[in-house]
Amino acid sequence: MPESVIRFEDVCVQVKNKSILKDITFHVNREEQCVLVGKSGSGKSTILKTLLGFYKPQKGTIYFNGRLIDQTHIHHVRQQIAYIGQEPVLGAERVKEALLLPFTFKIHRQKTPGHEKLIEILTMLCLKPEILKQQTGEISGGEKQRLVIARALLLGKTVFLCDEVTSALDPENKTLVMDQLFQKQHTVMSVSHDPEWIARCHTEFTVLDGTLIKNPHD
Amino acid sequence: MIDLSLEKLVILYVLLLLPLGLIYRYSSSILKSAAISVVRMTLQLFFIGIYLKYIFQFNSVWINLLWIIIMVVAANITITKQAGLSNRKMFLPTVLGLSLSTLLMSGVLILMVVQPTPFYDARYLIPLTGMILGNSLRSNVLALDRFYSEIRRNKETFVGYLLMGASLNEAIKPYLSQALKTALNPFIATMTTIGLVSLPGMMTGQILGGSPPFEAVKYQIAIVICIFCSMALTSVLNIFFSLNVAFNDYNMLNDEIFLES
Repeated sequence: MPESVIRFEDVCVQVKNKSILKDITFHVNREEQCVLVGKSGSGKSTILKTLLGFYKPQKGTIYFNGRLIDQTHIHHVRQQIAYIGQEPVLGAERVKEALLLPFTFKIHRQKTPGHEKLIEILTMLCLKPEILKQQTGEISGGEKQRLVIARALLLGKTVFLCDEVTSALDPENKTLVMDQLFQKQHTVMSVSHDPEWIARCHTEFTVLDGTLIKNPHD
Repeated sequence: MIDLSLEKLVILYVLLLLPLGLIYRYSSSILKSAAISVVRMTLQLFFIGIYLKYIFQFNSVWINLLWIIIMVVAANITITKQAGLSNRKMFLPTVLGLSLSTLLMSGVLILMVVQPTPFYDARYLIPLTGMILGNSLRSNVLALDRFYSEIRRNKETFVGYLLMGASLNEAIKPYLSQALKTALNPFIATMTTIGLVSLPGMMTGQILGGSPPFEAVKYQIAIVICIFCSMALTSVLNIFFSLNVAFNDYNMLNDEIFLES
């Protein structure tokens, strides 16, 4: 039986007294790549954010790698998952600082990558080494997305939560980003309206007014 | 000291027509609050004159202590309100930081510098504590307002730090740095120009009261140091003490701490 990385059991979430998620139950296995589709405001992004602890469920339980997510475990969960939104947060003025930002935190300090490793990852993502010297404000949206992926790869993350990642990308950048994210060893849970993205996922769920329906998927 | 007659005081009030006139002409939206603040200043100082007269007369350790507690509570209510935070949520953690730093720095000033007999002499205890408290109030409003409003405004970045593996203390560090800068910069600027551009109020008062300038200078240095220590200490303490209330156990900012929520 495949090992489930993410598991929601009867999860209900209310935000500002409004019920957003209603008894959500699903699981995502290791190396499975799944997508949530549905209308805006149906609760797709809330599912991703609840997994990351942005919202606390009023009812139900969430497991990550078989362990219940609670206040003692949430820090560990956040370390394991890479979250990539439409507007990626680089958090520093220069690209090199942005890539090395997580390694300024105690938990990753011992694992700070050298210059060669940075170049290797950048090359893998079709980014030129000169980008390291650039200001983060100067680079394109596609480059930002790839830098966030580069940072996740430097941290050795294999679980990706992606929220409408390709919506603002040109076709070339979109293909580059998708090729990197949909690696065999990656577990991906995503929100997307993009048919190309949806086609590359193994499983598809529709979120309808806070409830979840599993769709047949080719 | 020359007594300030009622006529002179009336002339000074007439002088207020100048700022109020300028405000009316160029920034009428603050006219009402400016006028109210003048009335409040007058009434508060008038009543404090009466209170202090009796507090000085009684000179009881318990009455003095009670008065200081009232001062701290009033200061703290103002701090949370001015910083846009809910008193219901934030009063307790912030009153703790304010009390600790005020107690510590007033203690240094009273017990080590001024050394009145008895140590709780209201003539020294109340005004000196008031000076420390007044300055701490300003720095606290700036620090708390900047800290929480910046985290709220840059929520994505803050959460981004958490997702990169930062602990809460690591994730708040840039915001704490900004908050401290905002809180302390005005006083740092004041210290830089003190004696060059302005003579501080207490020192001017002492000189007008007949003290030799160098005596007044020594006391002024002592009080500036204590005020600066208290401002820095209380700003940092209040931020750290309020973290437990301001963030939930998943380290997310609790919107209920803001007044408008």
